[in-house]
Amino acid sequence: MRAVTSFLVRRRTLALSALLVAAVGCADLVAGRALGADDVWQVLGGAGDPAARHVVLRLRLPRMLVALVAGASLGLAGTVLQSALRNPLAGPEVTGVTPGAVLGAVAATGLGLAGWRSPTAVVVAACIGGFAGAGLLWLLTGRQKSDPAQTAVHGVLVSAVLSGLTAMVLLVAPGELGSVVQWLVGSTEGRVWQHWVLLWPWAAVWAVVACVLAAPLTLLRCGDEQAAAAGLAPGRARAAALVCAVALTAGAVSAVGALGFVGLLVPHLAFALFGADLRRALPGAALLGAAVVTGADAGAQWLSRALASALDADRLSVPTGALTTCVGAALLLVVARRSVGPE
Amino acid sequence: MTTVTTRSDAAPERPGRQGTVRTEGLRFGYGGREVLAGVDLDIGAGECVALVGLNGCGKSTLLRLCAGLLRPAAGRVRLGGDDLARLSRRSAARRVALLHQSAPAVPGMTVRQLVRQGRYAARGPLGMLRDGDDAVCSRAMADVGVSEWAERPVDSLSGGERQRVRLAMALAQDTRVLLLDEPTTYLDLRHQLEVMQTVVRLREERGLTVVMVLHDLGHAARFADRIVALRAGAVAVDGPPEEVVTPRLLAEVLGVAGRVGRDPEGGWPVCYPDHPMPDAELLQNENHIH
Repeated sequence: MRAVTSFLVRRRTLALSALLVAAVGCADLVAGRALGADDVWQVLGGAGDPAARHVVLRLRLPRMLVALVAGASLGLAGTVLQSALRNPLAGPEVTGVTPGAVLGAVAATGLGLAGWRSPTAVVVAACIGGFAGAGLLWLLTGRQKSDPAQTAVHGVLVSAVLSGLTAMVLLVAPGELGSVVQWLVGSTEGRVWQHWVLLWPWAAVWAVVACVLAAPLTLLRCGDEQAAAAGLAPGRARAAALVCAVALTAGAVSAVGALGFVGLLVPHLAFALFGADLRRALPGAALLGAAVVTGADAGAQWLSRALASALDADRLSVPTGALTTCVGAALLLVVARRSVGPE
Repeated sequence: MTTVTTRSDAAPERPGRQGTVRTEGLRFGYGGREVLAGVDLDIGAGECVALVGLNGCGKSTLLRLCAGLLRPAAGRVRLGGDDLARLSRRSAARRVALLHQSAPAVPGMTVRQLVRQGRYAARGPLGMLRDGDDAVCSRAMADVGVSEWAERPVDSLSGGERQRVRLAMALAQDTRVLLLDEPTTYLDLRHQLEVMQTVVRLREERGLTVVMVLHDLGHAARFADRIVALRAGAVAVDGPPEEVVTPRLLAEVLGVAGRVGRDPEGGWPVCYPDHPMPDAELLQNENHIH
């Protein structure tokens, strides 16, 4: 009886999360300046004047969709990483993946190989950087990959070095500084259909891989020895999981930059709401990630509008990444307090 | 003559050899230090063997080798007649289950979810995505008496309860061979007896082959029908408890001076350890064992 209840509760939580994502998506569409909710609905209904149609269909819709998919990717990547490394403080941000992807994107932009007008080159550069960051961690941890503490220490080290290198690239080649800063903080400003077309097939492929890995990852969470005794080769499963997490993160970073704390925090929410079985926690993390990033995007736009009118500034935009980092850091503090609390 | 060797993944165990464990000249070392120096053991189907010996004598290593979790430096392990090294991790886990001494806590995982993980070898990564096949899990939970906590988080249980849940996970693998690495460590007397009696009962009901590392010679003498004592990586004593549990076993294998009596009701040997023997004496004894 209790099994049935808990099953229904989990199902309902998934359905509620999907509803939340839809609501947040709508909020994001109407959050920008100049167009109100009425205008947006008119355009979506097929009416509206050309200017409004341009804003909604060419600017807001792709931006919202990119935010949804990038958020889902980061949520999935974080959950996969935390399970594979059995480390509640692992996330793409602290395992060298995000800093590597940022370094790749920034370096390519600085060298003039990629830029605002060539998103494909940025995606490729971010992927290479992300894999390089993860590869560096892989080499450094050597035989101690199953030790969560070692991974955490080396991850912080790799991330710090990569961030330092990014700063050096910025000092040497400060060219397109405006767009580069967006990578560092993370922003959904100015994302167009071209970004969406690149992002979603990549994210879809790796999301399927993540789902196939759900069972091995659930078993890996029980510890390497227990997993091996139950019939899993822990090393191979962990390697596959890391590749999947890096690919998901690199895709998200190349689209929206280094959105802080999403990949670190969302898994905690997902495990708390959906339980330890990744068959449910993974889809849950994808939905929550999408809701968090899109919600932060809507919040950032709303905040920009409020700040602009309050400060009488003409144009002011709060980057989404700033919001996710602030909110994420606060929530992470709660998580850390709770996990060191009474054992 | 050429022999074609293939991974015998799908191959059924050889008839008549099911549930047997055999080690042949098994050697193993960690980074130059030899832990097992050639172990030959033949364990029949349905036997209940207790492995005893001092810390570091290679008991746990032997168990891990028998489960295929370590690769021997020389020699081989045969499960049901087949060379373990030729079996994939998954097909090995369909033949032998190993309960480790301890395992990390998994935050939020329920008893049913943990026990279900034991089905991994039988179902594989894609099969695990579906629900169902819960009959084996339910039986495993009922066997060790944890069914009523099925939906409770494992980390909310006491040490003894958790150990029974992990035993259920090993049973969910539905293997003929069950290896237990110090199943009663960290448990109070009552829970020790509970776990041991569960193991003995299951072994009788299912005809399981049980090999367990035990520190408590009393448990070994009472619950096992064969005791294998390891010393310095080799088998020092091997036989039924009534024959091998003697003051000499205590002295030469366990390094304890003591006496051995009989349980007045059950008749199994009972040990009365007096004091640890000085290291020097233990070393001298090394020459005239066997």
